[in-house]
Amino acid sequence: MSEVKIEKLCKSYGPIDVLKDIDLTVEDGSFVVLVGPSGCGKSTLLRSIAGLEPVTSGTINIGGKQVNDLPPAQREIAMVFQSYALYPHKNVYDNMAFGLKFARTPKAEIDQRVSEAARILQLEPLLKRRPRELSGGQRQRVAIGRAIVRKPQVFLFDEPLSNLDAALRINTRVEIAKLHRLLKATIVYVTHDQVEAMTLADKIVVMNAGRVEQTGRPLDLYYRPANKFVAGFIGSPAMNFIDATVAKKDYLEFGSGVNLSLPLPKSCKVGERVTLGIRPEHIQFGARAKIQLDGKIDIIERLGEIGYAHVALPNGQTIVAQVNGEPNVGNGQTVSLALSSQQIHIFGEDGTTLTA
Amino acid sequence: MAKETDASLMGMSRANYMRLLAFFLAPAVIVYSVFSIYPLLATIFNSLYLRQTDGSYIFNGVGNFGTLLTDTTWSVSFWNAMKNNFIFFLIHMCVQNPIGIALAALLSLPQLKFRAAYRTLIFMPTMLSVVIIGFTWQLILSPLWGISKMLLQSVGLGALFAPWLGQESTALITVSLISVWQFVGIPMILIYTALLAIPDELVDAATVDGLNQFQTFFFVKLPLIIPAIGLVSVLTFVNNFNAFDLIYAMKGALAGPNYSSDIMGTLFYRTFFGNQLQLGDASMGSTIATMMFLIILVGVMVYLFVIQRRIQRYSF
Repeated sequence: MSEVKIEKLCKSYGPIDVLKDIDLTVEDGSFVVLVGPSGCGKSTLLRSIAGLEPVTSGTINIGGKQVNDLPPAQREIAMVFQSYALYPHKNVYDNMAFGLKFARTPKAEIDQRVSEAARILQLEPLLKRRPRELSGGQRQRVAIGRAIVRKPQVFLFDEPLSNLDAALRINTRVEIAKLHRLLKATIVYVTHDQVEAMTLADKIVVMNAGRVEQTGRPLDLYYRPANKFVAGFIGSPAMNFIDATVAKKDYLEFGSGVNLSLPLPKSCKVGERVTLGIRPEHIQFGARAKIQLDGKIDIIERLGEIGYAHVALPNGQTIVAQVNGEPNVGNGQTVSLALSSQQIHIFGEDGTTLTA
Repeated sequence: MAKETDASLMGMSRANYMRLLAFFLAPAVIVYSVFSIYPLLATIFNSLYLRQTDGSYIFNGVGNFGTLLTDTTWSVSFWNAMKNNFIFFLIHMCVQNPIGIALAALLSLPQLKFRAAYRTLIFMPTMLSVVIIGFTWQLILSPLWGISKMLLQSVGLGALFAPWLGQESTALITVSLISVWQFVGIPMILIYTALLAIPDELVDAATVDGLNQFQTFFFVKLPLIIPAIGLVSVLTFVNNFNAFDLIYAMKGALAGPNYSSDIMGTLFYRTFFGNQLQLGDASMGSTIATMMFLIILVGVMVYLFVIQRRIQRYSF
């Protein structure tokens, strides 16, 4: 069992708390992605699991064993770094074998493990090359190979794709997903890219300012964000947020005479300030509908099969709506936007969702 | 083709362009010519002439070099200075540079506190005048009023004390070690900079691979700073074969006792400018200076063409 269990983990640099009371369980064989904006503590959390950062309080268990006081090499983890961190003076084979040699693994076994990893990652023709003679994608594979040969309980990936160009990134993303299935490995993966998180993860952990905002399956986070931060972070382009006041039961006022009558969650009190959230892809163009806002198109970004219309509401706010195909609309035109009632999120003043 | 030439002239007439080039090149050319190239050529030129007893000079080809290397009047001091200079260099290579590397490794430890203070203190002697260094150490080591004797006695090691600067067997080593003490900051800073260029993630990777700090240093960092160590070595070589000031300050031009601390620089000084009863001899002095130039030239060439080409350089 290579489960990672983190309880009440705190980490401070002097007076600054970088991680606050993190609880997290990574089930055996699952792919967990830590995602969040820069400085949210996701890398620090990963490095704490690796043992590269001492923690202030709390416990980390890997495979049922508390590892707080163990050095990284004894935690049965392997890490893939953002810059790959290959040893520049060693060839591909030695890069992969280096850690095993220090663990006094018999030579025959080193050979066997390295050639196994090289086969899986198609590195066989490159074993005698130095890292500088490799392309970015090849270096990336060597870094993963170095992790595989350790046969760790847990793989830790620290933004492994951010140094690759866009096309290679998509390729490698798929490779990593396949590798996960092949090795049935437990993986903790850090990224700031929500597309990587959505496509790779069994479970996403959204972090912000040292806290876990929400944990869940990718689509759960997409459809049922626990708060405004997660709602805004997951999904691209980001969810539209419109500030409103509950004027009466099931009735929102946005100001400047923009109002909306819609079924509101029961917990909404009259007079409460709330935020309505709706994703661009859940706004229909033009059609008359029950829940509808009128506005003027500021600009349309056309991406081909879809486009994004930035629509200014009479109260001055702009919302982004996805347009499918090539609708016959242009800048400055007044349009009606139909909001899909199933997809409307209402957030309270503190940002937590009121939508059940 | 003509168009391209025009572009490279930046729209100026050819004459104006040449004037511009001359304007920018002239300062460097003039300074180098007057203070480096001319003295070098003049020295080599001088070394080809022989000083007559009446003070005039006649052309002697490479005869002076033959005299210097084989005629016992000159060759004994020359080979003595040469041998001493190599000892001086070897002591620097074997003591100064390893200590410099070790200090740099310690300075780059992430847990270290007061890093800047150590760095400054260790580098301080390098910035002091050689005269001050020499005088201070002479006082420290003096058998009459030096503090070293007292210090050794206070820890019960008084028997070890000897007038190190005054004995033929120890003078050169003592002066070398003082020079090591003074200049150890330079290899330290150069190696430290090279160590800082090694990315933290590489050290993290080594930590995950199970290496402790010593192993990380020897198996990961050291191979990556070999180019810096090569640079430090060649600098040490050039500086040591040009050395003069510390020995002159501590032991005078005679580099005593009995020439036991005589190196190429002091030999050259006595020969060229004269000392006590020895008359200055510009042509033999120039011959020695040319030999110094040749030795350094050969050393640097060996480094550039043999060693440096085999050193792998890494970008991170």
